[in-house]
Amino acid sequence: MPLLERSAWYDIARDTNWTPKYVEVDELFPPDQSDPYGIPVAEWETFDEPYKVSYREYVSVQREKDAGAYSVKAALARSSYYEDADPAYLSMLKLHYGAIALSEYAACQSDARMTRFSKAPGMRNMATFGMLDELRHGQIQLYFPHQLVSLDRQFDWAHQAHHSKNWAAIAGRHALDDVMMTRDAVTTSVMLNFAFETGLTNIQMIGLSADAANMGDFTFSNLITSIQSDEARHAQIGTPVLEIMVRNGRKAEAQQAVDIAFWRIHRIFAILTGIPMDYWIPLEKRDRSFKEYMTEFVGEQFERQLLDLGLERPWYWDIFLEDVETHHHCQAAATWAWRNTLWWNPTGNVGPRERAWLEEKYPGWNDTFGMYWDVMIENIRAGHPEKSEAVGMPAMCNMCQIPISNKGGTVWQARAYQLEYEGRLYSFCSTVCKWIFELEPSRYKTFNTIADRMYNGEISPNTPESILQYMGSGVISQGGRDAHDLAWVRAYDEPGATPRLVAGS
Amino acid sequence: MAVEHESDFAPLKTWSHLAKNRRRPTEYEIVSTNLLWSTDDDAPWAMGPDVPLSRWYIKYRNNSPLRHGDWDGFRDPDQLVYRTYNMIQDGQESHVDALLEDHSGNEHDEGLTTEWVGRLATFYTPAKYLLHTVQMAAAYLAALSPSSTIENCFIFESGDQLRWVSRTAYRTAELRSTHPDVGFGSQERATWENHPAWQGFRELMEKTLVTWDWAEQFVALNLVAKPAIDAALLRTLSTVAHDNGDTLLALLCRAQLIDSERTVRWSEALLRYALDSPEHGDDNRDLVQSWFNKWAPLADAAVTAYCSALAQAVDAGEVARELANHRESLLTPAAVASL
Repeated sequence: MPLLERSAWYDIARDTNWTPKYVEVDELFPPDQSDPYGIPVAEWETFDEPYKVSYREYVSVQREKDAGAYSVKAALARSSYYEDADPAYLSMLKLHYGAIALSEYAACQSDARMTRFSKAPGMRNMATFGMLDELRHGQIQLYFPHQLVSLDRQFDWAHQAHHSKNWAAIAGRHALDDVMMTRDAVTTSVMLNFAFETGLTNIQMIGLSADAANMGDFTFSNLITSIQSDEARHAQIGTPVLEIMVRNGRKAEAQQAVDIAFWRIHRIFAILTGIPMDYWIPLEKRDRSFKEYMTEFVGEQFERQLLDLGLERPWYWDIFLEDVETHHHCQAAATWAWRNTLWWNPTGNVGPRERAWLEEKYPGWNDTFGMYWDVMIENIRAGHPEKSEAVGMPAMCNMCQIPISNKGGTVWQARAYQLEYEGRLYSFCSTVCKWIFELEPSRYKTFNTIADRMYNGEISPNTPESILQYMGSGVISQGGRDAHDLAWVRAYDEPGATPRLVAGS
Repeated sequence: MAVEHESDFAPLKTWSHLAKNRRRPTEYEIVSTNLLWSTDDDAPWAMGPDVPLSRWYIKYRNNSPLRHGDWDGFRDPDQLVYRTYNMIQDGQESHVDALLEDHSGNEHDEGLTTEWVGRLATFYTPAKYLLHTVQMAAAYLAALSPSSTIENCFIFESGDQLRWVSRTAYRTAELRSTHPDVGFGSQERATWENHPAWQGFRELMEKTLVTWDWAEQFVALNLVAKPAIDAALLRTLSTVAHDNGDTLLALLCRAQLIDSERTVRWSEALLRYALDSPEHGDDNRDLVQSWFNKWAPLADAAVTAYCSALAQAVDAGEVARELANHRESLLTPAAVASL
């Protein structure tokens, strides 16, 4: 007799709800951890995951996936790829691993919460696989960069970043703590599985994979594609959760959870993905611009999924679309200027050819962000590279923990959105970050930005050196510098190059 | 600003936090150690202290009465990582596939007596509920673990339970197709909720599931409840199954024991680690003893109810005594010293 088909027994394995007798239902499923929306258990029992997998299939498929990823790594380990790689490309890897490895591991606990506290038995099983998946992603993204610490100490941040008080790591943790670590199982699923994993991870994992393949880094390209295949499966937990919420009169709460999480993660991923794609990858190796990816993956696919579920675009959609053309350009310039605070070496890489590309992809770039770079380039060419390095602390957003910044140049839009709350002045990068704060001030009001810590004495003495030390720069590894030692500026010396120098700058 | 020099940061052979060890780290250490950021500061999360999950982590994890100066120093004796877990379990699942295929080819289920088939419906197929409670509890402990090396063990434990929930469901479907009139696939919930044989385990696990302190739940689950479940379901049921001609169930129980024994190894290692703490070991021993005292009666009652209902020949008291002796041995200083 052949083995039974999965469908012959699958429903029995997800028919595991029972009525507790020795404890109350609300004790077994405390609303703060489980479902604060009070949706009946019978509704949760209709949860039907679109993608089904058995444990037996899971361990077999995952074993093969790991064999693939690890064997590609092993096969290429003896090549001198990383020794010879463009230092700006290595920066993309440093940023990626530092930001992602422990974050994925943290998501194990988010999935664990769903496994324990979801009232939907099918969801508990799917989240068990999700928990295992995130363990895979944490471990494999530590194993791969581990060999690179012998090449460059900055790779130590793959493990250290999230133990550090580096501003970029703080920003990442603040968003993740908000979206996936401190929410009940239902809201976590909406925020993590749907808004984050369905909405945004493919930008990082598919988009960067294409660029990595163009760069000849098949180890990394293959790795993140393999990771995304897991994400694509467990992300689907979010869809039936949203369907059940909408059907049970909780559309507004579902919408709000999507809107909060999508914005928060977008603000981080635009830096993580947008800057490497549009600045660091050499021009001839770029697959698409960040905006083009976002337009396809988010503007089309994610938006369609939202509407199919009976939800709306986030209320800030126009602000978001504007942010896709703005935020990462601001941060490309800001992180480069504050490069000694980083654990990677960013490149400016805005030579005449790159600027033409940026202008084509982002019409108006030269008249806005370009004018900032004009000043930097002029100073460097005049023999004052030190003037291209920022000193001091920029104003930080009290929500996303990212420097407050906006379009400069002729369409100056830089401003902070401020709010006085219980006697303290809070500043935000955008109306969206301010909106999130105002939804639940007690959640956010006590957190000190890194700038606050400079003024309240946590960083002491208040000197540039001690700020860097506090952030781990010069402690865990050398801080960042221009990946090409400013060589890209020399492109302006070539005959025919037409630098745009701003009079009087 | 300060300028550092490359020479200040000579390349490392491993992560800086492992570099102080003289030997080269294993894959397990590279990918498993010191991975939680929520234990770095007093506040687990960047969110305010009044957020329910901030309070929860402080109360039930950070302020647990079971204390150790370095939970990150714990090591899984099996040094399991995700990659090797899948390799091992893929192999184990292939073995189980082969067992199932072989026995269905031999018309195993057709050969079972009616009386035994009835007992399977009462004592075996409802076990998915019990296994699932362990899946849930282990997941809670993964979420509340004070270190990544502990968390990973719980993740695998939770995955193991899903494995056996699935295999029990598989067997339920097979038995239903051969013996359609016994209620396989439909009566399990009522049996789990009402049959006296299950009420001890149900009470034990419902109460374990709401014991929020991570360490107490760990002790209740992995040092008291799970050994009781293994003794009743995997050892006793397996023996009785064998005596009743159900070699398939006996072999499946044996396969499941391989997972359970792995859980026992790291759970007892974790207990020893807590008892060996120079600052807190003595207090920890007293504390675990008090938890044993609290939870053992529920586990004993569960084992007794299940085993004595399962078959008259079973000496339920002996099963409970063996469990008690083993628990006691875990706390004797001699046992600690010998390891």
